[in-house]
Amino acid sequence: MTDGRARPDPPMAMDFEGAGDGRTNALALLLLSMADDEFVIGFSDSEWTGIGPILEEDVAISSIAQDELGHARALYTLLSELVADGRDADAIAYDRPPEGYLHARLLDHPRGDWAATIVRRYLYDTADAARLDALVDSSYRPLAELVAKIRREERYHLMHMETWLDRLATSPGEPRERLLAALADMAPDAGTVLAPLPGEQALVRHGIIGEPFEAIEARWRKGVGRTFQRLGLPDLAATRDPGRARADHGDAFRALHAEFTMVRRSEVGATW
Amino acid sequence: MTDPLALDPVLPVRERSALPFNDEALDHDERYRHFEEHVTGGGKVESTDWMPDEYRTQVLRFVEMHANSELMGVLPEREWIMRAPTLRRKLALTAKVQDEVGHAQLLYRVAEDLGKPREAMFDDLLAGKTKFHNVFHYPTKSWADIGIIAWLVDAAAIVAQQALRDSSYAPYARTMKKICWEESVHIMHGRDVVVTMVTGSDSQRAAIQEALDRWWGPLMQMHGPRSDRAKDRDIHWRIKAKTSEELRQEFLSIYVPRIWELGLTLPDPVLGLDPATGDWRYSEPDWDELRTVVTNHGPRSEERLQFRRDNREATKWVRDAILGAPRVAA
Amino acid sequence: MGPRRDPRGAAGGGVTESQPADRAADVKGSDGRTLEPWEVFRQEKDGDPMRHGGSVMAPDATLALHYAREMYSRRQESVHLWVVRRADIHDLADLDLLQPPLDRSFKKPGGYVMRDKLAAAREQSGQAKPKANAGER
Repeated sequence: MTDGRARPDPPMAMDFEGAGDGRTNALALLLLSMADDEFVIGFSDSEWTGIGPILEEDVAISSIAQDELGHARALYTLLSELVADGRDADAIAYDRPPEGYLHARLLDHPRGDWAATIVRRYLYDTADAARLDALVDSSYRPLAELVAKIRREERYHLMHMETWLDRLATSPGEPRERLLAALADMAPDAGTVLAPLPGEQALVRHGIIGEPFEAIEARWRKGVGRTFQRLGLPDLAATRDPGRARADHGDAFRALHAEFTMVRRSEVGATW
Repeated sequence: MTDPLALDPVLPVRERSALPFNDEALDHDERYRHFEEHVTGGGKVESTDWMPDEYRTQVLRFVEMHANSELMGVLPEREWIMRAPTLRRKLALTAKVQDEVGHAQLLYRVAEDLGKPREAMFDDLLAGKTKFHNVFHYPTKSWADIGIIAWLVDAAAIVAQQALRDSSYAPYARTMKKICWEESVHIMHGRDVVVTMVTGSDSQRAAIQEALDRWWGPLMQMHGPRSDRAKDRDIHWRIKAKTSEELRQEFLSIYVPRIWELGLTLPDPVLGLDPATGDWRYSEPDWDELRTVVTNHGPRSEERLQFRRDNREATKWVRDAILGAPRVAA
Repeated sequence: MGPRRDPRGAAGGGVTESQPADRAADVKGSDGRTLEPWEVFRQEKDGDPMRHGGSVMAPDATLALHYAREMYSRRQESVHLWVVRRADIHDLADLDLLQPPLDRSFKKPGGYVMRDKLAAAREQSGQAKPKANAGER
């Protein structure tokens, strides 16, 4: 990954130049980053379908994955309406090269074992909740309305993940060890969900988001810190390379991308 | 294979004193006679009733194979969740596969309450001692397969499941009602995929025809060889009500016209309705293939069983975590 | 009647020979340690009674509720759920208590057949049988 030359800025996956002002560009970027987050984590979690640790839990994680995909679909739809360049939600979701995806690096970690899934989900769900809190009064009404619905669905995710985090953290031996290993692996990428977005000043100025991501991230980090302290888990490490929080997705995502675009690419323009 | 006669009933026998087979004062043969009269007369059995060993064994075997099939049936479709070409199709397929896991849960619960622990059933499935339906031993080669399976495999299954809603074993019958309700959505999803592709591009249409040509053989074998109604113990005990042939005829009469109306062909030149008898004629299915496949020598049998063994091993620590040390009070 | 006993528990119940040898005997009690059955009751719509739906295996009430939600309301088919440990359910199915044999027709509407007496009374008073709903106050 290091090859000596300066790495270019993360590419703008969507060509927003013709879409108007800084506000629209920043809003589009926000929607895309949120949609891609939900899309990619939905994928990871849906990998557990059929092979979950207990039958009942298999059904539960599958519901959570479906919720995320549903949220992604709604966000991509909102984005397609905003940009209105003829692309529908599916075209935005599927028809980009791997480097054009703006999901947070936390979600590039592969599914892993159950502890890794719980850790990634816990870190993501808490960060997402903090982000949604800052959007619930958004001046962009369609987003505010969607966020109100999403938050109601996300409550279950948090309840479920907290139950499992608690259970793993307080079960001595292998469960706790695996939890700690997963945390050590993912902690440097945990804050990428709430890393500052390019152009976010416009979002704050126009009231699309309640406060800058830096403030949201700080509050989230404190909240997670309290839970971790209660469970005797180490503090979250600082975010590695926050300037590239949504770039450099790596080989695992590249392979995933090849997989999820396979059928669509087999017949471009077909109806499925 | 686990001897079901060695099982303790999970729940104590209820005192349904008006039902003579539950009367402990009677000897075994009398209880057996009363039970047989009750069941063959349309009476229902609950998990807490006294049952002859033969009945308990038959029901458990029947339910266990059904549960195994739902669990293994997930695997052919699961890989295509990753590849679904639109968001809606991905959601639909994830929901369908989730339902299958849910059905496995419902059915394993019924079997557990007959006295066999879940882990013992998984042990037997993965050791090849118990079976799962033929269709889940075959590969899925394209997105077209997903449409064909969701439509026609689920259709063949629902034909069987609807006939089980009046099973003498009441917990199983109740589960069938819930399962039939959920399966009807799967068939619609599958048919939608098929019709969309059939009316799409030439290569989409060709993919559907190719998938149908490949799956028709296993579909025709799915309900099993013809059996003699008089000798069928599952029918005697009213665990099931219809023979394999009755189910197959029902499947053909509903679905062949729906396949033909899409302009698709079926790879059986003999297939057709005999107006004189009202029955569908068809080429004799390959019963050797069926036997080979359900004894775990199908194209994907071992690979899928091994996949399950590996995943079960990889997640064992999670199950042990639940049975581990008590949680710290929050 | 009385609490349902799980013979696999305190009675040291005989389980199958294929049960994994390294698993300790199931421990009784809702201590978060054991996967055990929880019965699920559901209400389909506002005003309906709670009806039994089925059961889930779970180690405690929290996960039992989550799993009940998954198994019995994935399609938004319930508005309310209860979960109860099967071991906590008390059972009565004794027909001597529930369906005692002596006549109790005086407690049921079907126990009051007046057709002949009414016919005699009408004949006596020279009145016809009133039309349905006629003269309702």
